[in-house]
Order: sequence, then structure tokens, then C-alpha cells
Amino acid sequence: MVQLSSLLLKKYHGGYVILRFALAGHKQANRPFYRIVAAYNKRARDGKYLEQLGSYDPLPNICNEKLVSLNFDRIKYWIGCGAHTTKPVAKLLGLAGFFPLHPMTITDAERQRAQTELTATGTEDGLLEGRKEAEV
Amino acid sequence: MFQVIGGRSVQAARVLAPRSAVLVEAVRGRKSRTDPVAKSKVGRIKVPPPVDPVEMVVLKERYGEYQMIMRALRWQKVYAVLEFKEEMLRKKYEEDTGSLAEERARQEAQEHRVLMDLNHLENQRILKLTRTRAARNCQRKEKEILKLQEDVKNFITLENLDQRIEEALDNPQNYNFAIDKQGKVVKQTMLQ
Repeated sequence: MVQLSSLLLKKYHGGYVILRFALAGHKQANRPFYRIVAAYNKRARDGKYLEQLGSYDPLPNICNEKLVSLNFDRIKYWIGCGAHTTKPVAKLLGLAGFFPLHPMTITDAERQRAQTELTATGTEDGLLEGRKEAEV
Repeated sequence: MFQVIGGRSVQAARVLAPRSAVLVEAVRGRKSRTDPVAKSKVGRIKVPPPVDPVEMVVLKERYGEYQMIMRALRWQKVYAVLEFKEEMLRKKYEEDTGSLAEERARQEAQEHRVLMDLNHLENQRILKLTRTRAARNCQRKEKEILKLQEDVKNFITLENLDQRIEEALDNPQNYNFAIDKQGKVVKQTMLQ
């Protein structure tokens, strides 16, 4: 069998391999599902990839979990071959423990905590003020 | 704006009807250079999000650490992959030209020799059988030839034709006979 893909093999000049999310073509509106994929940088997001290294479901399931699968062996191989990662993939791997925790994860968590504290204190102050006004 | 649509729609159509099964979203940035700003965005000044200096310092430090660790990990992985490849090559080399490989090669050669000897014997046996069979065929053919040579004397040729016709007419042969249920053959018939 003649491998027709060999005729379409693009020769990438200065291209590099990247680990990123690609939308799995489920053809359903408002229901995304991502594949963690090793592909050339210049390829389309959902186009031909070199290898699939896992999956990520952004919507939580019945038990309120977001399911992620990772093939650590192959990820190690690709990083050893010099593959880059996108920010979300780096964050995900940081949360998984494979990479160190991404600084933005920590800062985002801190910001969110500050926000929730603000709103909590804000509501408390608002309640207190309301009661004071009522008393007054 | 409507002129633009005419020019852009081709691209959009090409994008929206691709050969691959995956549908790409609509084309981004529908305005061209010469289109004016929209009424709702006339006085808009785009401002980047405000930066907290304290947080920035902390972030910079964290990023520095992160990048250091990532660099170290990368190099570690690179070395790991290289070592793995080396190991695979060494294993292959061992398999091809190691001591075990020599043993196996010797054993295989021995087996090969034994099988070849068996084959040789078989061939000889079959050769003998074929020879005897050929000789028998030869004999049979010779007998047939002798018989034919004797028959040749009785053939009718152009010279004998007249003579044989006269002989046949002079000696009429009567091949008719009668046979009853008990098996008695009666050769005497009405014909002369």
C-alpha cells in the first residue's frame, strides 16, 4: 500500500514540537473535550498530530470531578526530545505533580482568596451597617 | 463594509467548507483598513490591566525559580532519553554480536547441517526409486516396440492393397453366432 501521507509530509523549517490541547471533534455544540497532543507548532489546532498523550474534560462530571488522563512515559520522551508546552498544559502538569507548580496558579489562587475575603468582609460590613442603620 | 464582505466571503467560504472533517470557526476581523470605527467604540482608550508592584516582585521571583527548575528538568529528561537510546542500541548490539548470539549461531549451523544431511539421504532414496521406475518404463516401451515391429508385417500398404482385397473377397469371414441362456455358442448360421 502506497503511503499517501508521505506525499503530504510537510518539511517544517525551524518548526518545533509542542504539547497542547486540541479539541476532539465530537461535533456537539457547548460540549468541549480536549486531547493533550504532541504536534508540530505550525499545524492547525485540531489538525494532524504526532501522538496523543492524554485527554482533558473541562466540564465536571456527576461527582463534581474534572477528569484528566496523562501518559507520563511518552510525555517524558517528548520533553527529552525537546518539546515545548503551552501555558495551560504546563499548569495542568504542575497540578498533577509532574512539573513544579506554575507561578500563575499560585497567584491566581491568592487573588481569588483575597477576593473572597473582600466580599466576605464586605458583606459583613454591609450587614453591620444595615443593622446600625436599622438601630439608628 | 458590504464591499468587504464580497472580498472576505470567499475566504470564509473556503474556511467554512474545508476538506477535513473539522469545522473551523468564522473568520476573525471582518473589518478592513479603511473601515471606520464603530459608534459604540468611538471614545475608547484601551488600558492594560493594573499591575500590583508587590505582587509583581513576588511573581518575578516565582517565575525565576520555576524556569530554573524547568530547565533542569528538561536537561534531565534529555539525558534520560539519550541514555535510554544508548541502552537500546547496546542491547541490540549485544543481541547481534554477543556471546549468546555466537552460541545460538553455532547451534543453528549444527541444526542446519543435520537437516541438510537428512535431505541428502532423502534425495538419494528418491533418486533410486525414480531410476528403477524409469528402467521399468523403458522395458515396457521396448516390448511395445517389438510387438509393433511384428505387427508391421501384417499391415496393409499400398502394394499389398490389391492382394489383400482379393484375399478378403476369396475368404469370406462369418462373424455371426448365436448364444442361448445356458451359454451355448452356435457358430453355424444361415449365411454361407
